[in-house]
Amino acid sequence: MAISLRQRLSAYVIMGILLLFILIPLVAGALTAFKPQIIWVSSPPVWVFQPTLENFEFVFIQRQNLLHLRNSLIIASGSVAIALILGVPAAYALARFRFRGSKGLLQWLISLRMIPPIVVALPFYVLFQTFDLRGTHFGLILAYLTFLIPLVIWMMRGYFVEIPSAMEESAMVEGYSRLQALRKVVLPVVTPGIIATALLNFIFAWNEYFLALILGGRDTSTLPVAAATYVGRARVEWGNLFAVNLIIMLPVIILTIILRRQLVKGLALGLVE
Amino acid sequence: MKVVLQDLVKQYPSSSSIAVNHVNLTIENGELAVFLGPSGCGKTTTMRIIAGLETPDSGHVFIGERDVTDLASKDRRVAMVFQNFSMYPSMTVYENIAFPLQVLKLSKDEIDRQVKEAAGLVGVGHLLQRSSRQVSGGEAQRVALARSMVRRPEVFLMDEPLSSLDAKLRIQMRTEIKRLHQETGTTIVFVTHDQEEAMSLGDKIVVMDHGNVQQVGTPQEVFFNPRNVFVANFVGTPTMNMFDGTVKPNGGGLCVDLAGIELKLPERFPGASTGMPVKWGVRPESVKLVDDGQPGDVPGTIELIEALGSRQQVFVRAADKLFSAMIDALHPVRVGENVHLRFDHRGTHLFNAQTGLSLAEPH
Amino acid sequence: MTASTEVKPVATETGAFRRWLYRMSQKYVHWFFIAPALIAVLVVAIYPIVYSTGLSFFRVTFDSRERPFVLFENFAWVLNDTDYRVAFGNTLLYVFVTVSGAFILGFGVALLLRRITVGRNWLRLVLLLPLTIAPIVVGLTWNWMLDPLFGLINWILTGLGLPPQTWLASTSTARIAVMLVDIWQWYPLIFLIMDAGLSGLPRAPYESARLEGASEWTIFRRITLPLLRPVILVALLLRTVDAFRTFDLVRVMTDGGPAYTTETLSLYLYRTAFNFNKLSRAGAGSMIMLLVIGVISAIMFRYLYRDVERH
Repeated sequence: MAISLRQRLSAYVIMGILLLFILIPLVAGALTAFKPQIIWVSSPPVWVFQPTLENFEFVFIQRQNLLHLRNSLIIASGSVAIALILGVPAAYALARFRFRGSKGLLQWLISLRMIPPIVVALPFYVLFQTFDLRGTHFGLILAYLTFLIPLVIWMMRGYFVEIPSAMEESAMVEGYSRLQALRKVVLPVVTPGIIATALLNFIFAWNEYFLALILGGRDTSTLPVAAATYVGRARVEWGNLFAVNLIIMLPVIILTIILRRQLVKGLALGLVE
Repeated sequence: MKVVLQDLVKQYPSSSSIAVNHVNLTIENGELAVFLGPSGCGKTTTMRIIAGLETPDSGHVFIGERDVTDLASKDRRVAMVFQNFSMYPSMTVYENIAFPLQVLKLSKDEIDRQVKEAAGLVGVGHLLQRSSRQVSGGEAQRVALARSMVRRPEVFLMDEPLSSLDAKLRIQMRTEIKRLHQETGTTIVFVTHDQEEAMSLGDKIVVMDHGNVQQVGTPQEVFFNPRNVFVANFVGTPTMNMFDGTVKPNGGGLCVDLAGIELKLPERFPGASTGMPVKWGVRPESVKLVDDGQPGDVPGTIELIEALGSRQQVFVRAADKLFSAMIDALHPVRVGENVHLRFDHRGTHLFNAQTGLSLAEPH
Repeated sequence: MTASTEVKPVATETGAFRRWLYRMSQKYVHWFFIAPALIAVLVVAIYPIVYSTGLSFFRVTFDSRERPFVLFENFAWVLNDTDYRVAFGNTLLYVFVTVSGAFILGFGVALLLRRITVGRNWLRLVLLLPLTIAPIVVGLTWNWMLDPLFGLINWILTGLGLPPQTWLASTSTARIAVMLVDIWQWYPLIFLIMDAGLSGLPRAPYESARLEGASEWTIFRRITLPLLRPVILVALLLRTVDAFRTFDLVRVMTDGGPAYTTETLSLYLYRTAFNFNKLSRAGAGSMIMLLVIGVISAIMFRYLYRDVERH
């Protein structure tokens, strides 16, 4: 396509403005996490200052956010692991086998994503009281599966559809059972897809607030719930808040940077297919 | 090993038509049998049933003396080469060929020896350390061939293995499969929709359509003595000239009336009787163009000429019908020229228009 | 290679039970893979839906001992509640504005990216950053940005000689501010999907259209849009369904205020259940919400599948 220089230049300019809009809030927020209390808020904003770690010290030691970090890690990775273990085989079967009602089943499973969390929150809340699951990691993991399993199935099915079924059939004729064929031949090929799926699901579970707020006990609060506690009626502890925000953002951003190739390709494949 | 299919039936739940319809077939030990038919004719499904990748609704599959109908693929001692898949992408050429051997728990040296032997046989010995991305389509298909050989299967199954290759490579690989067959003497079942491929490869051709076996025979039988209209039309390029007509008495014998053309029937069609609606056919190779007509020749005008290298296909309009004739390229013809069509009676065919079956004497 | 077919004697007669077992394992192999997920989904999704549905026909609070059956009382109450209707209207507006906004921005960025040749992979990464950040973090960060006293936005406005705004506290700006932040957060999803859709487009129709002298705009309208239809529908469907359940962002930014102008369904239902202890009313309200989402996505699904079928 022949694009004139002016068109190209304007594309770069628009993109530049967009990048500013995306990056300024994130960078300004991240900087605040390292500001001493006196300049948490200031107008005009202070850009140059002696960075301090006192906010992080405060949130980790005084407010025990380390515990919340641990909770977030356990709940997010636990729910993603279980969702993958349950969802990947189902996605495989829905990609490979045509049986009575297979199409309907797939649509139905995917449509579960539409359930408003409040619909899940109410029964789980009551159920947790009955079974004493309130304040356990397992309770929240269970609640997260509601949304993670359909997402895993949706994304992974796209990957399996891409792989010719002859691949595992070939291995089956060559002396392997279907399960062996899957493990030795198909699994290595879909690994990038599994990584992308795991990452996206991890992001969802890690960032989740609504269910964590309602269903999390005092000992199982996750980081997003902890972050909200820095917002008081009268006053917001901005520096501490941004310290926690940074802790929430950082793992996800780092993972995204490391896995960017798989993520972009994986999302495209999984969602568009 | 001998392969026997006994009354196989298979219907997919999602489809209304039947995929394999009461197929009975014997493939002798050491034979190269080709399943030929248009797509959706049941040839691939039949092969997948032999491989154990599909379970038949009823019927049995025997390999040698074993009833393998309810045996998993891995225990059938068959090998299969697929149409749209050749190499496991996560493995090198070497690992691909070694893959079927690993499950046999052989020693490392033994695996190494067999991998190298098989790779050498199909001519990929120099590529062993390449990854799947570093080999061409033809090389990948050779690797698939090597991988199918190392287990020393009792039957090779090949599902259109050459259809993804370009024309030149296809012919080259065809020769190699033929050679492989001659050297190993193993039974091969080969599926294709390409009738030229079928003709050049097969000891035996099984023509299929709509889940039914239409004809089983040598390439010559299928070509020269098609059992029904479908086989006559499907086998042979260019396709056979075929017209509707009625059988009439003619002197002492019979003739066929093709609405404007009357042709005397040779004695070869004992099934024909007066008044019977028929389809009469002649292969373009059996049509000659002559300048001065004799009785029995059909006058016509040349409408179109297609040059095909050493041959040319000439379309002649006669009595409102378009005949195609395959003649030598050196024979001078031009469009608009008036000629006479002369049919070689050994190349003509007659079918019952209702049943579609051949009226020729059975062979 | 001479085929030394080492024929080991094999039991030609496998037992009737083993035959039966093999047939069954072949016939029902898919359930072996699907069953675990299906059972889990029945527990974590279907059971709650059934429970919530049931809940909405009884009168239930967290501490109620008796739970009388009241048929449609809760539905009637909720539908007559002005707050519920306001929340519903707000949500519909919210969904419409944020989904269209995110779509236009996301698609626009995806198209813009096609024109850029340098550092495309890194650009893509930065562009999708907002998607990866927790909504609550996004909300709180923008609270800070929009603060009337020290917020960066007002600082820029005053720098340009414009009057500062109380963005989130005034009824005229709160709604639009929250929606803009929502678009900021979620446009990357649309961008990702459209970006993938655009890179998957075939080349031939463009080349022939260009040869025929079609303008860029005609090409976009007649070739790009029709080819992308299924992708566009997927993107819209995903975003719409998610926008309906928005809670986190609104909760931390305005908590429904000022004067209920940003009250969404999720907020309303949360309050009804957990602040006002009216479980069954929240149940009834959420059933209605589920129904509306279901109908909307069913329509979109229909369009989508009609498209896919046609391909």
